[in-house]
Amino acid sequence: MRPVLDIADLSIAANGKTLLDKVSLSIAPGERVGLIGESGSGKSLTALAAIGLLAPGLTATGAISLDGQDVIGASERSMVSLRGNVTATVFQEPLTALDPLQPVGRQIAEPLRRRLRRDGEAAGRTDVAAGVQNLLAQVALPDPLALSRRYPHELSGGQRQRVAIAMALACRPQLLIADEPTTALDVTTQAEILRLLAKLVADNGMALLFISHDLPVVARVVDRVVVMQHGVVVEAGPVGEVFSRPQHDYTRSLVAAARSFDGALEGAA
Amino acid sequence: MTTPELTIPQTHPRVSATLWVGLVLVGLHVAIALLSLVWTPYDPLGMTGGRLEAPSWAHWAGTDRLGRDFFTQIMLGSQIALVVGAGAVAIGGAIGVTLGLLAAFASRWLDDALAATLDILIAFPTLLIAMLVVAASDEANLFTAILAIGIALSAIVARLTRILAKRVLLLDYITAARTSGTSWMGIVLIHVLPNIWPTLAVNFALQFGLAAIAEASLSYLGLGAPPPNASWGHLLQEAQGTVYTAPIGAFAPGLALVILVVGINLLADGLRDVADPTRSAQR
Repeated sequence: MRPVLDIADLSIAANGKTLLDKVSLSIAPGERVGLIGESGSGKSLTALAAIGLLAPGLTATGAISLDGQDVIGASERSMVSLRGNVTATVFQEPLTALDPLQPVGRQIAEPLRRRLRRDGEAAGRTDVAAGVQNLLAQVALPDPLALSRRYPHELSGGQRQRVAIAMALACRPQLLIADEPTTALDVTTQAEILRLLAKLVADNGMALLFISHDLPVVARVVDRVVVMQHGVVVEAGPVGEVFSRPQHDYTRSLVAAARSFDGALEGAA
Repeated sequence: MTTPELTIPQTHPRVSATLWVGLVLVGLHVAIALLSLVWTPYDPLGMTGGRLEAPSWAHWAGTDRLGRDFFTQIMLGSQIALVVGAGAVAIGGAIGVTLGLLAAFASRWLDDALAATLDILIAFPTLLIAMLVVAASDEANLFTAILAIGIALSAIVARLTRILAKRVLLLDYITAARTSGTSWMGIVLIHVLPNIWPTLAVNFALQFGLAAIAEASLSYLGLGAPPPNASWGHLLQEAQGTVYTAPIGAFAPGLALVILVVGINLLADGLRDVADPTRSAQR
């Protein structure tokens, strides 16, 4: 089966400084992949490059194919249609990922209307409104009707992240990119959002690219992990294998750190 | 045990006292300007009293050196002030917002070029640019004054728009919108303009006040609407020679201008609070 996202030997440089070095990554339809590494290791950069959203001044070489279409060198026009159709992204900080001046219902309606038109479905006012209610219910938000009229600052962090997920779902993407979606949330909310993401990905048959620095979090939602350090992929494989028998020093240190943290927690308890 | 009744805080923006005072002051000018279209106490050009009379019940603001009723002329002047203010802001806003957005979205060298040009333009006093534009046209009339002031203001609007738009473009929700496939035009219309609008609107109001002052200045210099259009600036200029003997001639149009500009600024402040739901909720 053709991969949803296929990155081959992607290198990115800014002013002669190499940020990514020959990164390769492939995601099959419905596959859940974790991208792990510390801050600045190039995880988010890889994800942005995958959807053609590199900041100006960065030059990319290599090949990126999104649903069979080349991303590097593609025109902005062709990328605009490709982005919403194939991918959608959930970001780390749900407050800044939502427009502060629009009720959340309207923000979900915008990509939804586009997707309905794309699929040739009815996109009248009532169709869109019903779709928004349905999406809000899917992300398990209570009282969708009242909630859709609220502004982002009137919601809690977890609620905002659910709204952001609903916006991503509205596109009905083949690949959901989740860039540290739980980092800004407290532990209880984190677990809820992870459960929700795992369920939605399974229910909708989406592929998932889950970006995180948090090993235990990643291990709960993905099948396969790719470990990055300093812009290089140092290890990749099925999640159980990589975590039980890490080959690379960096992965070993990550696993050891996670274990000692767990140990400390258990010791304290 | 009974459940205590919860009151849910109102999310509707509260209209502030600032907004009300602004509305009253600006509304007063608009009402007077509209009234003067159909009725004035006297014929603006008729000699209806003695020369340089002090304020009285018959002549609320006295008479000028030709014996014309001063209050009538101030009423007519508010028409010019409002028309020039609105016209100049419309022209300056249209040019400025377009240029500013263009710069914000442009490639780096075009942005740098536009930004440098704007900085140079802003270094010139608004009035000087307006005078140049008037000088470049064949005759000074109401329209050249509006156009000149509008062009002069556009640089300030453009620079503000560029900075505001660039700041919004860096935010995650723009990236989020782009990842979901929103086109550039969609991003401008749905996210950028609504988000910079509260700040722009306040600035437009400020520009409205500046435009009214600039118009008075141009007319004072004889570069605005030609007589017998009773611009406040023209009235001030006429009153200059008699400012010691009949100070009301300079005081009255000046006061009218001050009330209009203060009213506009208060209105802008109040409107900003209404336009921005995050601000109204904090109060």
